[in-house]
Amino acid sequence: MRPFNKNFPNVFFDRGRLWTKSDSPQTFFEERIIRQGGFYREWDAKRSKLAAALLKNISQIGIKEDSSVLYLGASHGYTPSFLSDMVSKGHIFAIEFSPVSGRDLVALCEKKKNIAPIIANANHPEEYKDIGKVDIVYQDVSQRNQVEIFLKNCDYFLNSGGFGLLALKAKSIDVTKKPKDVFRTVRAELERHITIVDFRELEPFEKAHGFYVVKKK
Amino acid sequence: MDFKSFRKKSFVDAKKTIRESVGEDEYILHAINTIDDLNRIANLLTKRLRDWYAIYYPELSMNIEDHEAFIKAALKETRQGETMGKDLDKKDLEPILIFAKEIERLYQFREELKDYLNDVTKNYCKNMHYLIGPLLCAKLIREAGSLRALAMMHASKLQLLGAETALFRHLKTGSRPPKHGIILQHPLVGSAKEKGKAARAVSDKISILARVDYFKGEFIAEKIKADLEEKLK
Repeated sequence: MRPFNKNFPNVFFDRGRLWTKSDSPQTFFEERIIRQGGFYREWDAKRSKLAAALLKNISQIGIKEDSSVLYLGASHGYTPSFLSDMVSKGHIFAIEFSPVSGRDLVALCEKKKNIAPIIANANHPEEYKDIGKVDIVYQDVSQRNQVEIFLKNCDYFLNSGGFGLLALKAKSIDVTKKPKDVFRTVRAELERHITIVDFRELEPFEKAHGFYVVKKK
Repeated sequence: MDFKSFRKKSFVDAKKTIRESVGEDEYILHAINTIDDLNRIANLLTKRLRDWYAIYYPELSMNIEDHEAFIKAALKETRQGETMGKDLDKKDLEPILIFAKEIERLYQFREELKDYLNDVTKNYCKNMHYLIGPLLCAKLIREAGSLRALAMMHASKLQLLGAETALFRHLKTGSRPPKHGIILQHPLVGSAKEKGKAARAVSDKISILARVDYFKGEFIAEKIKADLEEKLK
């Protein structure tokens, strides 16, 4: 068990897999936990696009121990639970639209003290404007207008100098186009508004998914 | 506001939103999904029962094709004529009959669920219910996600609900476009000679009725149905 990379707090690497050190060993997900001066939770790159991006050697994501994060598309809360370990001194606002996966999310948040669950539509940031400014906007929503949603939320909530992380599902933008072409159009679209820091395709962990890291001026 | 108190409030809000998100759409969704599952499972179990029962009285299974009728006959136990079946001890026959009873109970429950679904849809979307019946109603709502989504949908999209594979194959490779999705299960479409034309007419009317139902309009389905039957004659 060794630290994965100094840019990513509290992430470890062992036997080809990612782990986070965690105070709360009992989540409802079925990952293995091993002891080595603490609890470590296995972070499956096939289930989490952020983990996939890390394993694809993304250079930086701007997340620090005390970051505050806006997470759009939290779903059942798999990735947020690991993000919660990373920002051990910060906190996460987890937005999810579907009340059905919202049930799991709320149950998870009861266990993770630094996540606040919000059932709202990421298309309408004014619904959750109370959260104020954040250091990181993470988005994984698989909507046709996901880029628009991302830019809108970055505009609304991101501190200047803050990072935006966008997990992009090419197939929800246009199934008929090749993913590479979609990535190119999205890059151009993003560049018009914000600085792109890094980009990775998530093969082989996810098909036709890209991961963008952007920084607000 | 500090994070701790914000989180406290967000739990209350989130739980409330989740609680209030449940309505007739969910009742319909779960009922129709359960009916589908029951169909599959009862079918599977009856096949198993047929195999098992055949050691006792194989001729019965060969003569009765319908699953439900077969179970009824098996429970009545009318073994007659010269049979290939073995005379089973009571203790070896009993589990077979208990099994048959359980499956009969599943079929019975399915019918009860259909009645329930009928009540819910009749109450929730009376116009659509009148034109297309509870099962198709429920399936369309399931494909669309909710009555609201169905009401907001173009009639042309409604027409193709359930034919997504064919539609996207058409968009991707330019193969022939699909003419109908689950709407084919409507008797006016299924029995029509020109199915594409009928599918279009029927989906138009369903779309109108879905909107009337969603916005709690009056009962107009009788007239619409008459128009439609006239048109497709």
